[in-house]
Amino acid sequence: MAGMLRAIFLLLACQLAGEALHRLTGLPLPGTVIGMVLLVAWLALVPRERPALSAVTAWLTAHLAVMFVPAAVGLVEEGPVLSRHGAGLIVATTLSTVLTLVVTALVFRWALQRYAPESGR
Amino acid sequence: MSEGALLAMPLLWLTGTLGVFELFDRISKRCNRHPLLHPVLWSTPVLIGALLVTGTSYDTYRQATFPLSFLLGPAVVGLAVPIWAERRRIRRLALPILLSLMAGALTSIVSAVGVLALFGAPTTLLASIAPRATTTPVAMAVAGQLGGIPALAAIIVLFAGVLGAMVATPLLNAIKVRDYRARGFALGIASHGIGAARAFQVDATAGALASLGMALNAIATAALLSMIALLA
Repeated sequence: MAGMLRAIFLLLACQLAGEALHRLTGLPLPGTVIGMVLLVAWLALVPRERPALSAVTAWLTAHLAVMFVPAAVGLVEEGPVLSRHGAGLIVATTLSTVLTLVVTALVFRWALQRYAPESGR
Repeated sequence: MSEGALLAMPLLWLTGTLGVFELFDRISKRCNRHPLLHPVLWSTPVLIGALLVTGTSYDTYRQATFPLSFLLGPAVVGLAVPIWAERRRIRRLALPILLSLMAGALTSIVSAVGVLALFGAPTTLLASIAPRATTTPVAMAVAGQLGGIPALAAIIVLFAGVLGAMVATPLLNAIKVRDYRARGFALGIASHGIGAARAFQVDATAGALASLGMALNAIATAALLSMIALLA
């Protein structure tokens, strides 16, 4: 259990450092994303087995969906916007998602054949 | 205690949100996680209905459910763990990963913002759709920074996730991309966590690459949009 507490502390400390960097340096990335990069750096600098951290982050990722329900409910205040621009939002999101899938997959395959043809899985 | 006071209790809305979500999550699980049965898609309208019926303001609800929203922060930071876990594969596939990440992130931003602009949407909406390929908490943060509407960003991201998860298999078959690494990575870039969940159902390698794509795209899209915001 002590490992769990340390893992939670590590996550919060990285987030806090990310927020501090975001505010103090004016770095425009969101504090949480800076925190993610800081945590990758920390894992690289202090390499060791971290079963508790893996367990905590796996739990958080598995329950991500319920955490953004409160934000989604905020749509209750956006009725006029949705009825006016709903069609455009649906078309733009659909086209963008399909195009992104196709472009990413094709570029990945092309680069795989060009630069890493021998790599196994 | 009066009825009004109970409706203002954080405990009521927090419990209600978890309860409603759990209900739809069970239905989703029973139907083999079909993307159209994503629990957020169904619990959101039910909770909106509950707010309207009880005459509760969104502000009251938002404050009551703050403990849930708070967890989004550490969850985003925790995406570092899959990136670190995949470090050997990242080194081996550095160029395919880097090039397709950049191509995918740019395609997603430009096509979403471009098409929506053709519909004559105002800047607040363009800012809300720009981060649509990132995982929800990052999309909400980026949209907020760009002057968009975080709640709208959350719903757009959700829709993109459900759509990607549904069309990925027939679409990638049609363009004849059969490598599971390319398929998984593309799904993670285009459709974040919902895409990754779908990829894991099909193939473990595809799932791992999809999680990696989601985590890396959170950084790439946020960085690209931050640069654009600085220049604008």
